[in-house]
Amino acid sequence: MSQRWSNLLVWAGTIAFVVLVSKTAWAGNPVNGTSLTNLVVLALPLAGIIAMAASGLVVVYTTTGIFNFAQGAIGMFLAYVDWELTVHHGWPQLFVLPLVVLVIAPLLGIGLDRAIMRHLQGKALVVQLSVTVGLMFAFIGLANMLWNQNTAHSMPALFQGEGFHIGQVLLTWHRFITIVVAVALAIGLRILLFQTRIGIAMRAVVDNRDLAALGGARSSVLSSFAWALGCSLAALAGILLAPETADMSTTTLTFLIITAFAAAVVGRLRSLPLTYLGALILALATQWSGSFLRFSERWTNVPDALPTIMLFIVLLLLPRAEIQFARIGQVRRVERVSSVRDAAIGMLALLVFIVVMSMFVLSNTDTTNLSRFALGMCTALVALSLVPLTGWAGQVSLAPLAFAGIGAVAYARLGGAHGSIWAVFLAALVTVPVGALFAFPAMRLQGLYLALATLAFAAMVEEVFYSQPFAIGAGERSVQPVHLLGIDFTSKRAFLILVTVVFGLCGIGIVALRRSAFGRRLVALRDSEAASVTVGVNVLETKLAVFALSAGIAGFAGAFFAMNAGTLNGPTGFEMIAGLPIVLALVIGGVGFVAGALFAGIFGLSLVIIQSDWHISLWIGLTYLAPGLAVLGIIQNPSGAVVPIGEGFARLLPWRHDARRDYEEMTAATAEPEVGGLGLERPFEEADVLLVDRELGISNEVPRAVAAARSG
Amino acid sequence: MGLLEIEEVSVQFGGLLAVDDASISVPAGCVTGLIGPNGAGKTTLFNVITGLQAPSGGRVVLDDVEVTRRRPYRRARLGIARTFQRLEAFGSLTARENVLVALEMRRRWATARYDCGKIADELLERVGIAHVAETRVEALPTGSARLVELARALATDPKVLLLDEPSSGLDEQETDALGVLLHELTAGGLAVLLVEHDMPLVMEACSYISVLDFGRVIARGTPREIQADPSVQRAYLGTAKAAS
Ligand SMILES: Nc1ncnc2c1ncn2[C@@H]1O[C@H](COP(=O)(O)OP(=O)(O)O)[C@@H](O)[C@H]1O
Ligand SMILES: [Mg+2]
Repeated sequence: MSQRWSNLLVWAGTIAFVVLVSKTAWAGNPVNGTSLTNLVVLALPLAGIIAMAASGLVVVYTTTGIFNFAQGAIGMFLAYVDWELTVHHGWPQLFVLPLVVLVIAPLLGIGLDRAIMRHLQGKALVVQLSVTVGLMFAFIGLANMLWNQNTAHSMPALFQGEGFHIGQVLLTWHRFITIVVAVALAIGLRILLFQTRIGIAMRAVVDNRDLAALGGARSSVLSSFAWALGCSLAALAGILLAPETADMSTTTLTFLIITAFAAAVVGRLRSLPLTYLGALILALATQWSGSFLRFSERWTNVPDALPTIMLFIVLLLLPRAEIQFARIGQVRRVERVSSVRDAAIGMLALLVFIVVMSMFVLSNTDTTNLSRFALGMCTALVALSLVPLTGWAGQVSLAPLAFAGIGAVAYARLGGAHGSIWAVFLAALVTVPVGALFAFPAMRLQGLYLALATLAFAAMVEEVFYSQPFAIGAGERSVQPVHLLGIDFTSKRAFLILVTVVFGLCGIGIVALRRSAFGRRLVALRDSEAASVTVGVNVLETKLAVFALSAGIAGFAGAFFAMNAGTLNGPTGFEMIAGLPIVLALVIGGVGFVAGALFAGIFGLSLVIIQSDWHISLWIGLTYLAPGLAVLGIIQNPSGAVVPIGEGFARLLPWRHDARRDYEEMTAATAEPEVGGLGLERPFEEADVLLVDRELGISNEVPRAVAAARSG
Repeated sequence: MGLLEIEEVSVQFGGLLAVDDASISVPAGCVTGLIGPNGAGKTTLFNVITGLQAPSGGRVVLDDVEVTRRRPYRRARLGIARTFQRLEAFGSLTARENVLVALEMRRRWATARYDCGKIADELLERVGIAHVAETRVEALPTGSARLVELARALATDPKVLLLDEPSSGLDEQETDALGVLLHELTAGGLAVLLVEHDMPLVMEACSYISVLDFGRVIARGTPREIQADPSVQRAYLGTAKAAS
């Protein structure tokens, strides 16, 4: 389909969607001067808050190339710091607000930049994303630990909610100040970016993509400044937003900022005026839906999904991405492609281990631990669905658990209620087309935008799908484990062994796939889309296949989730926020490897065990804090933990001569002098010129200007 | 009439006219040279031919079939292959796997059956990198990676081969071998369009040469005619000589 037609289709679809939703959900409130004034008066401060948060995202992204998922969480955290000082310690807001926004937030930003973000330059997108998602979890976890979420927190509005009237509508001083601050910020940022040296330098990085791709070209002052500014903007947004929420719930505050993602995407993550425009439109849409639409029954949760629905629509409206050339300066993963035989041996060892555990260690009378182990294997199976998609094809998906949820529901509806074996395969079959549909946005969107679209999808599934009567509806659905070969898998021990066998078989299949033509094609597509198409690879077909495959595996895994849970109850167990740690754990383990998926399962399992045996307040924090902090480990080891573990382990196996040889080669390679000492400790030679040229992605031709200067 | 005809192609990037009404004919069975200073629009023209860049005007015709609006992968299947000036090898695959990807795609539309593994080994042998077949390309020196790209392009069994500065990163010996290989390939009926800065190689290998400057074709002819052309010397050869 040509670009023009697909754009037209998306626009027409969006308009039709908005009209249709408005018609069906129309609450019947009068549309008159008062209600419209009210709408605008409510929308403007919201737009201001969205714009502040989104500007922070834009400033950081344009300067450092990193999309800060944690923007909302940082705002939330700093709003709590503000609460602590004003409400708990009784300090005056007039003093605390500048302290938090102008001192604490910038310090936090600089700290983050120095300690974490700087090390992410040039890493794979999924690694960059995982770290900021992890940071988001860490901040939520930390806030949950410090400020007990079982008691309500509330932040008073500025000037105690007093205000003035516009017509019959009250505009509080708090909201008025929010609007004024947002406008002042717009002007301030404009001056900063266009009139000051540091601002112009920041823009210069944005305007030169090649330069932006080179980590070294960015001055460290610039990135620290951007992070400081980004955190200040987050703090401002968080503090102004906090009084508008009922109880300052950490997750609510964090995720309200998803609307800011949408606004920043309207500005294509670089234009501040467009970001402000996006914020205004999104705020108007939010208030419009709040004032004039009413969602009930199966659509009750639509308002909660509104930010993500808007994010999804905005993403689809983006112009189609161009064909991607290889990203220069990118540090590629060191991948050792394991053989099918090794995978089979590994899976057999896993099975033996699980059997022994379930026979001699895990109690069959109290099935809690057997159940947890089974959940761990199910988690590993879901993580496995991302190995071909994200690990090989480089398509970042944050929605694997949403596909598992769809699979679970399909299992329950299509025969799982009485444990039909066919239902397991039907579950996979039902999710396949849903996943394949994602190939179409994946043709338009690339990298970060696709990841955001999958995140929005996960949230929409959570809020809207399960409440549908054909899915789960208001009640529950109970399911039975499968009957297979006359074995009753209602015994948790038998079920655990079944899931382990299933994971083992799927894992071996995935390893075999990597060694097949299809596996090679996926890796080729990730490494260079431009080169792939010039050797005849049909990108749409390939993406369709890999999205379908990934969704199928996740749906398949979902059936086992359902069996393990016994009953399905709304989105429980399949929430967007429950899915993100799986992605994080997979990245920590190694996103390109079956062993990485197993790692994700073990990680989830350990977390569940630790949590239930530890002190309660820590428990609340740990759910979020542990994956958040653990993911920082990938800064040290971006290929994943299983790579060094596997290399170390394989060397010990008597038949793995190749592993010993690889290890020797690697140590020899790292012993070679690096580019760092060039010109200082040793002369700059022809070979180094090639190396540097290659790193910078330039050819050995002499630029015209230089040539002209020399000749003239 | 060439096997590949580039007819009045223009490419506009914002205010910059990177290719300006360029027409080039690439006949089968010989090497056609495309030279010009850095930034002249050579790579952009390659992108237009392979479909990675939509032209703002003009046509690309392959074997009497207009392909201007075809998707890049379809053009590949019709017989256009290329290498890249800025490396686009599949870095995390081995040299052999790079070639296999192309062969496995070609198997889908080729009529004859063949053994991918065997042909991959032959191709690597032919371009002279059989000894690094099992090395990941990102670990190879630039020159070898270029040869991987060449083998990969040949694996699609093209009618037209576009080479974007293939000799950069090659040593003298490898460059000579490249010249020999080009002769062999064209003797088999292949049409080659060669962008190259190595003047001896260009003068030796090409039957015809077009000169591009600021997106315009400022001269075309045999190597001898091009060497004698004063406008070419002004635009290109002079500066290149002074620089070297
Ligand atoms: N994607 C692009 N966007 C904007 N300008 C481009 C793009 N690609 C190339 N150019 C510009 O077009 C001109 C021609 O570039 P190129 O085709 O790479 O030249 P050559 O290969 O002859 O050295 C250069 O001025 C370059 O900066
Ligand atoms: Mg070029």
